[in-house]
Amino acid sequence: MRRILSSVRDGRGFDIVLVAFPLGFLFLMAGLPLIYNVVMSFQEVDMFSLGTFSRPWVGFKNYVDLFAQPETLPILYNTAIFVVGSIAGQFLIGFGLALFFWVNFPGASWLRGLFLVSWVMPGLVVGAIWNWILSGDFGVLNFILKDSGIISGNIFWRSDPHYSLYAVIIANIWLGTSFNMILLSVGLSGIPGDLYEAAELDGATAWQRFWTITLPMMRSTIGAIIALGLIFTLQQFDLFAAITSGGPNNSSNVTQYWAWDLSFRQYDFAKGATISVIMIVFVMFASVVYVRSTRHEVRG
Amino acid sequence: MSETARNRLMLVIAIIMAAIYLFPLYWMYITALKSGSEMFATPPSFWPASPQWSTYTYVWESRNMGLYLWNSLVIAIGAVVIITVLGVGCAYVLARYRNIWVDIGLFLILMLQVLPASLMITPIFVGFSQIGMLNYPRLAVIIAIAAKSMPFFVVLVRATFMAVPMELEEAALVDGNSRVGAFFNIVLPLARNGILVSAILIFMQAFGEFVYSKSMIQAAELQPASVGLNSFMGPNTNEWNNIMAYATMYVTPILAIFVLLQRRIVSGLTSGALK
Repeated sequence: MRRILSSVRDGRGFDIVLVAFPLGFLFLMAGLPLIYNVVMSFQEVDMFSLGTFSRPWVGFKNYVDLFAQPETLPILYNTAIFVVGSIAGQFLIGFGLALFFWVNFPGASWLRGLFLVSWVMPGLVVGAIWNWILSGDFGVLNFILKDSGIISGNIFWRSDPHYSLYAVIIANIWLGTSFNMILLSVGLSGIPGDLYEAAELDGATAWQRFWTITLPMMRSTIGAIIALGLIFTLQQFDLFAAITSGGPNNSSNVTQYWAWDLSFRQYDFAKGATISVIMIVFVMFASVVYVRSTRHEVRG
Repeated sequence: MSETARNRLMLVIAIIMAAIYLFPLYWMYITALKSGSEMFATPPSFWPASPQWSTYTYVWESRNMGLYLWNSLVIAIGAVVIITVLGVGCAYVLARYRNIWVDIGLFLILMLQVLPASLMITPIFVGFSQIGMLNYPRLAVIIAIAAKSMPFFVVLVRATFMAVPMELEEAALVDGNSRVGAFFNIVLPLARNGILVSAILIFMQAFGEFVYSKSMIQAAELQPASVGLNSFMGPNTNEWNNIMAYATMYVTPILAIFVLLQRRIVSGLTSGALK
């Protein structure tokens, strides 16, 4: 006993104690739910069997039922559009801004940091603001677009099934662009300056320098940022809750919102768990890409 | 073009871009000050004709905002305390050693970091209801948030510990400190700033958390401000000035913290997220 105590105070035991509690906590509160999720996706769960562990096993019935539902494929398709649209918008605008702020001028880093307010705000508040900006008759976005002659009539962003998904995408691009820009700025500042001096001496134009130096040198940063973008986009829930609630008629519904809706609005916990399992597999795949692209940095 | 003229030009363009980007925020503050009729005017006014400051007191009292913000604060502080107490030691060990076990641990932690809350809430809710945790809904939310955000905290704080030279700790050990003594007297004070910044980031996230609170807290008097905002925004609402006043009172403290500590938060974030 004394040996253990002294090891905790002054030896390997100290490290083990420090690491055992958090990992145990994470296992209980994140690992077990993950396993439980898979278990539930093979069971029949309703309001009455919620309190017991012995529920009837149904094999792959939940999965089969899920894909037999008519809304499943459109929702998966919406998720794909949401992910691709959000990442493309966030990345392109973020990269443009990062390149601009890369030119060092007084105040650049402070102003660049200010952009990050969009990322630290609660998602619900961002959703509420965009809900109001995008409103059909009195929204300021419609006014600006009409005033500049881009559209002739009001677009009902939230209630028109053709636009509702894009309403959420616009808000999500705004939310995530600043984070992309900050990380891309870090990558840009890591490129050694003498590469550009050498290229300039050789007569390369700015355009050529961008394609032959900047992009290749940024490859691992870009990979990490796109994987992170995928992870964050699939986590986005608050904006859907605040802007469209997945409607009208599922036109802006995506899997991460649908899984919650099935569990907590329709009390079909088994279906909710089934979608969760499918999506978590996806997310884990993305995170493997992310970990691999930052691996040499993780090792320090 | 001289250097100064170029710098001035760049600064002006940068300010214009920042103004465009931050327009939604401006719109929130402005709408909150408009009267009911001015809000729906066409063309919309970009500056309130007669600022309605009374909207704030009206919303604060009618929506019972003090209670909502108090609940948000309780949840955020609880989550930050659990995460800091458990996460700092974990980050320290993961920063101090380089071996296969550390790699495996880091990999698992990064994996847990990516699980979307809206997907994890189903098993957490069912499990918590089975063990009776839902009778203490705020505590349940605090624990769920702690499990969700701790990996991010560990990754950030680990980067801070990596920057603390190991020689300092070794010198303290040679001087007769125990491991515990060296950790609390030497390593922890040196990493204090990084830990503080990471804790603030976690606090801001937890302060705005929505999915877990919405799903697990049924009693209105225990709900945080994010859930309150959600129930304020019905499907066909038209009290946008009131909603924006609510949003203003909710985010302004967070924005103030961010603007004050901006440089540190940004550098803490970038050192952890990519390295």
